[in-house]
Amino acid sequence: MEENQLLALWESYDRKLSQNLVLNRQNAEEITKIKVKSLLSGMQPIKIFAIIVGIVWVGFLDLIVFNVWAYASPMFLISIGFHILLTKLSIGVYLYQLVLINLVDINEPILSTQEKIAKLKSSTIWITRLLFLQLPAWTVFYWTKDLFQNLHVFQISIIVGVALGMAYLGIWLFKNIRFENRDKKWFKFLLSGKEWDPMMKSADLLQQIEEAKKEG
Amino acid sequence: MFTRDSTSFLKVIDANKGIIYKVANSYCRDEENRKDLIQEIILQLWLSFPKYDPSFKLSTWMYRIALNVSISFYRKESRRGRISQPFPEEIISLPVEKLPIEQNEDLDMLQKFIRELKEIDRAVILLYLEGNSQQEIADILGLTVSNVSTKVSRIKQTLKQKFATINR
Repeated sequence: MEENQLLALWESYDRKLSQNLVLNRQNAEEITKIKVKSLLSGMQPIKIFAIIVGIVWVGFLDLIVFNVWAYASPMFLISIGFHILLTKLSIGVYLYQLVLINLVDINEPILSTQEKIAKLKSSTIWITRLLFLQLPAWTVFYWTKDLFQNLHVFQISIIVGVALGMAYLGIWLFKNIRFENRDKKWFKFLLSGKEWDPMMKSADLLQQIEEAKKEG
Repeated sequence: MFTRDSTSFLKVIDANKGIIYKVANSYCRDEENRKDLIQEIILQLWLSFPKYDPSFKLSTWMYRIALNVSISFYRKESRRGRISQPFPEEIISLPVEKLPIEQNEDLDMLQKFIRELKEIDRAVILLYLEGNSQQEIADILGLTVSNVSTKVSRIKQTLKQKFATINR
């Protein structure tokens, strides 16, 4: 089909639509009476909730560290310190998302608005990566000198093996949970479902936006 | 800027209902979901109504909002239940006796091909078919005119090839 035929086809469709489309004024008017929020504000409460819970949790852990600093085992302090650091980074991601929510304006051009929304949605992957990076901390926090003195070599090799395995897994997942790997089987097995689909589509959209900017 | 007055808003919507319908139809074929999408677009237009900047054409503002809502919130997942107060009836609709308008084979294929394009390309070709100038398309999308020109040529070529394939 040639260009002029395409345009003529669309024009005739447009003409017929404008003659025949019906606006249900009563329902349209009802919309103007609904007390609603803007497009993304529905996402705000959960982010704020996560930030508050995160701050309370980190504050509680900071307090524990402060109180046990003098006598706690080094592994406990390292593990809890690592966990606190990563939780603070996650809070930072939520704050970044909150800023993006407030920056999105659907009156703005499509590309800039969609870029912000896509970044907002896709940044959740950082929280997942940080979550997995914490894995080794949960396997070593209880290690003490006494524990190792009282355990058999076989038992020690098991707990050290588990810790090393978790450290490897945590770092590997942190490095590999990236949108570039979204089609791999392990990724789909680990991260799929309703919550992940919009995130994957956002990553696709970000790619489209990058390509759109380059083309031309 | 408009004041937040529902009478003038309804006039604007009535005069431009085709824009809302065509954008929604390009991003969502399913009738039930399209109904929700149209409602969401009108809702967001209403919320943004006082922010309309008259230095832009009214249609530019409407396309921006309709496309932004359609692209960002119209991913394949079901919207039912996500809308706070869904209306049982369509807000903008074609009466049943007028439905043959959409039962044109070429138009049907064109709409199918448009829906097969990626979200941004879909917006570009829709705006082009709607008769917007390249400058207007650039303003709506936030691209440069030369960028729009390249994209339009490429997408037209894609559509031409798709039609050629079915006509073989």
